Amino acid sequence: MTRSPLVLIGKIWLALILVFLYAPILVMAAMSFNASPFYQLPFQFSTDWYAKMAGNQQIIAAAIRSVLIACATTAIATVLGTAASVALFRYDFPGKRILQVLLFPPIAIPWLITGTAMLVFFFAIGIGRGTPAVLIGHVALALPYVIVTVSARLSSFDVTLEEAARSMGANAWTVLSRVTLPWIAPGIVAGALFAFAVSFDQFVVSYFLSEPGDSTLPVLIYTAIRKGFTPEINAISTIIVTVSMAVMFLAARFSKFGGSR
Amino acid sequence: MADLVTPAERRRLYTLLSPAYLWLMVAVFLPLSAMLFFSFLTDMPQDAPDWGVTLGNYAEFLSNPTYGTLMAKSLKLAVTVTLFCILIGYPCALVLAKSIKGRAREALFLMVILPFWSNSLVRIFSWAIVLRGNGVLERAINWVLPFDVRLNLMFTTDAVVIGLVHSYLPYVILTSYLALQAVDDDLIDAARSMGASKLTILRRILLPLSLPGLLAGAVLVFVPVVGSFMEPRILGGRMGTYYGTVIEDQFVAVYNWPLGAALSFILLAVVIVILAAASPVLKRAQT
Amino acid sequence: MSRVDVANVTKKFGQATALDDVSITFEDGGFFALLGPSGSGKTTLLRTIAGFYFPEAGTIRIGEQNVETVPVEKRDIGMMFQNYALFPNMSVADNVGFGLRVRKVPAAEEKRRIAEALELVQLGAMANRKPSQLSGGQRQRVALARAIVTNPRVLLLDEPLSALDKTLRVDMQIELKRIQREIGITTIFVTHDQEEALTLSDRIGILKDGRIVQAGPPREVYDRPVDAFAAGFLGEANWLPEAALAGLSLPVTAAGRRFATRPEMLSISAEAPADGRNAVKGRLQQRVFAGAMATCLVEVAGQQWKLVARDRDIPELPGGGDVWLAWDPADTLAVPA
Repeated sequence: MTRSPLVLIGKIWLALILVFLYAPILVMAAMSFNASPFYQLPFQFSTDWYAKMAGNQQIIAAAIRSVLIACATTAIATVLGTAASVALFRYDFPGKRILQVLLFPPIAIPWLITGTAMLVFFFAIGIGRGTPAVLIGHVALALPYVIVTVSARLSSFDVTLEEAARSMGANAWTVLSRVTLPWIAPGIVAGALFAFAVSFDQFVVSYFLSEPGDSTLPVLIYTAIRKGFTPEINAISTIIVTVSMAVMFLAARFSKFGGSR
Repeated sequence: MADLVTPAERRRLYTLLSPAYLWLMVAVFLPLSAMLFFSFLTDMPQDAPDWGVTLGNYAEFLSNPTYGTLMAKSLKLAVTVTLFCILIGYPCALVLAKSIKGRAREALFLMVILPFWSNSLVRIFSWAIVLRGNGVLERAINWVLPFDVRLNLMFTTDAVVIGLVHSYLPYVILTSYLALQAVDDDLIDAARSMGASKLTILRRILLPLSLPGLLAGAVLVFVPVVGSFMEPRILGGRMGTYYGTVIEDQFVAVYNWPLGAALSFILLAVVIVILAAASPVLKRAQT
Repeated sequence: MSRVDVANVTKKFGQATALDDVSITFEDGGFFALLGPSGSGKTTLLRTIAGFYFPEAGTIRIGEQNVETVPVEKRDIGMMFQNYALFPNMSVADNVGFGLRVRKVPAAEEKRRIAEALELVQLGAMANRKPSQLSGGQRQRVALARAIVTNPRVLLLDEPLSALDKTLRVDMQIELKRIQREIGITTIFVTHDQEEALTLSDRIGILKDGRIVQAGPPREVYDRPVDAFAAGFLGEANWLPEAALAGLSLPVTAAGRRFATRPEMLSISAEAPADGRNAVKGRLQQRVFAGAMATCLVEVAGQQWKLVARDRDIPELPGGGDVWLAWDPADTLAVPA
């Protein structure tokens, strides 16, 4: 389908979409380096807002909390999710289909509903708001992503490799650690990166579950925007976008997500 | 894959499976059940010892027309955003899947879905910078056009739509692209050998075969947009009161949790109806 | 129906030349097989004739029309694909009717022609099925009906039988030949299966590295290959070692030539034949029984020769012993060295 005006129009369309997707982010990034607090032009380069941001204890504390929660979420969700994927792949048992279907509500139900439900429930059982509640929520949201990603990798695993290992005398744990896990390693890495992104970018659930004054970075940003934002928020936002895009770029590399088949 | 025969295997299965599913149980499914329960209460038990059971929260939804109006407003917003995402995103997926080959395709596809994985709050915030009066967009347009345009888009419904389309467009592109990529190029060649024009190929082959993917994308846009509250708050200003923002208020401002729970549950019911309506076509995608 | 003339066609993909100055004529109503190893350019030639590719140089004529710059959808051809490429979202009848609908054929006529085409491939009862409900052979027939229902000027087949198993393939070969004769359409057929090419076609073209090596009726190509590649690609060839040539009766002088025999032209015995036929001495390595026929592998001056004959025509011979392979001098193939 080359040499056609339709194709040319299509390519221009695609280019416009890319502009639409990236322009606001680039504008925000540019403005974070602009001296004027009211986004006045002409543009004057300045790193003042980054310096101010670095001096803002609230932002730094929230950033550290966000990263720590994301790392903890990644560790827990990756281990639990990988274990569950292996079990779902390896064994046939009654109710397996139901367990697989149960992965979708946490993905498909709007986070507003999940988040408020968690808030209500955690208060009822005494966990309440705060960092533990946020962590519990984030792991639950990340788990389905890890299980789906690792399962996708496992589905291309040749079971006869395990059988071959067993025929050579390996026990179940040796088979798992020497044969199965090395094969699914790229899937696990991708799943872990997804988990990190889900947690690090999570706003809605964090918003309902975090203690005021003890919030994660996105929640802090939201509060700041509603109070009337400052260019410091611009600076930290630019950093967040850069970090999360870098993480997802790596995840895409590892999972060959959408690559040529 | 093996059937469970020995107790040892059974034990191993439970060891591997139960942590993940217990976690999901505690953090997702029990909360959803608890919320259903609380939506029938007069007060939260921890606040008022004299709490009771009532249908009042649901009656409130029915008797106060504001909620119905807001639900309709949110549904209309979701329809608008979904339609824009389809109209903008499907041609994009089509070009990516069928006109661009090799490494360029991979790179462009990654570029299209990458922003989607960056923080949605921050991306909405970036639109606030672009759209505000005397903001970057207005300056850019006035710089290009000879006459002066005032387009104060910030704090309008249009701003909310633009922000949401920006947030969810990659979903439609992703699912449509995957569906279109799965269509064998030989089918297109075969249709051409029988004399079909590009439009005929699109209408009679590509569109029907990628419909499940397109619909999956539409559902993935529609469902969260019905429940959106952050985007309308930031970009909508006074125009930004929707069903989602009312639920938010119940939990963080008004502190009427039972009413909030009931409103959340009504939203969940709407979501389930939408998912159920779409499922016959979505199932076809797997066969 | 039309004849197809390809003249001096060159097609490049980037740096690689897929077709190198190819000229060939496909006669009106003929059944022409394009045969060659993978990468020889046979599929490229077919797709260039179809109009999926435009050549960098040369002309292609279908009937009286120059078509080398006409895109495929305007070329009025019928094509069958290796994996059939049936539209999974349409019924059998809709698949067959696709080209008619595109041509805006009136509904009543469309219906009649779909029925006729399905009748021709003996699938009248399957009109309302979806492709996923058909067997491999049935899909094949639908693809054929779909390719011919518009009465195209030429029918192009891209390895259409390679996805079928052996027995079904033989049935379909007979069927394809019958239908081709019945409608008399010019047919060009790409295959890498030499037996299939010999069975079906009335002319064969052998391609190598984007060039036509030899074209002609199957028997002529088989009996008089123009070079070593053609001799070895269509049928098998036992090459005569240089040292063995002395004393043999050859059809032409040996200078600048190589000689070969076909496995089925040979006879085998423990003693040198006394009837004046050509013969070489070798050592029997293996005898493989395959029902009616048997194959003997014989080492001749360091090379492996192959003999194919009816099992009952091969005498009992000791394995590893010396044997003589003999053939009629007229059956000796000679190609330029």
